[in-house]
Amino acid sequence: MHKKTIQNIVLSVIILLFTGGIIALYFLYNPSNSNYFSKCIFYSTTGLHCPGCGSQRALHHILQGNILTGLKHNLLLVLLVIILIYKAVLFGLEKYYVKKFKSLLNNSKVIKVILVIIILYWILRNVDYYPFAVFAP
Amino acid sequence: MEQIVNNNKPPRPSNYLALAIISTIACCMPLGIVSIIYSTKVDSAYNDGNYELAESSSKKAKNWGIAGLSTGVIAIVLYLIFIVFLAAVGALDA
Repeated sequence: MHKKTIQNIVLSVIILLFTGGIIALYFLYNPSNSNYFSKCIFYSTTGLHCPGCGSQRALHHILQGNILTGLKHNLLLVLLVIILIYKAVLFGLEKYYVKKFKSLLNNSKVIKVILVIIILYWILRNVDYYPFAVFAP
Repeated sequence: MEQIVNNNKPPRPSNYLALAIISTIACCMPLGIVSIIYSTKVDSAYNDGNYELAESSSKKAKNWGIAGLSTGVIAIVLYLIFIVFLAAVGALDA
């Protein structure tokens, strides 16, 4: 048990340092202006945008405070933020009222819709015509 | 009767949806998508009463999500080592 707590502390310190380092890196440098940031492997090999393309630039702009410019690079971050906030609120409510709530995220239809959104987003951001060109990173 | 059935229900396994989406956006789209597909299976199996399938899908969703994230982390670490190596070679040249 004691050994396990030490392991957990070491692991959390490593994770904290790593995320802190990543946040500092993306706060200080714009991936578009630097040659040192890796491009998306999927994009470099196929020439197609993937659902995650643009998240490095998005992270940089959001950390700098330009939230809208950042989100334009990857709109899926909006989905992620909504899900994380929803989970956090639900977690808080469950702790406060000491009971279980029915989570929308445990509804398989909702998850299927999310999966379809991600795949549609992936396809549409590769379409080069006007309404969809907005999705490109 | 209903009560007995309810008491026999094991707790709902987590579907690790957030992990799966983070892994899809952060780097490793293919692994993340697999993880989301297992996420959808967890709850449909649980609602159908197939608790074993729900449990195993939950584990798979978690493993694929972690695999996606750790591939990203390993890629970043290797990349940093590569950059430091290049910088060191550059410094030797100068």
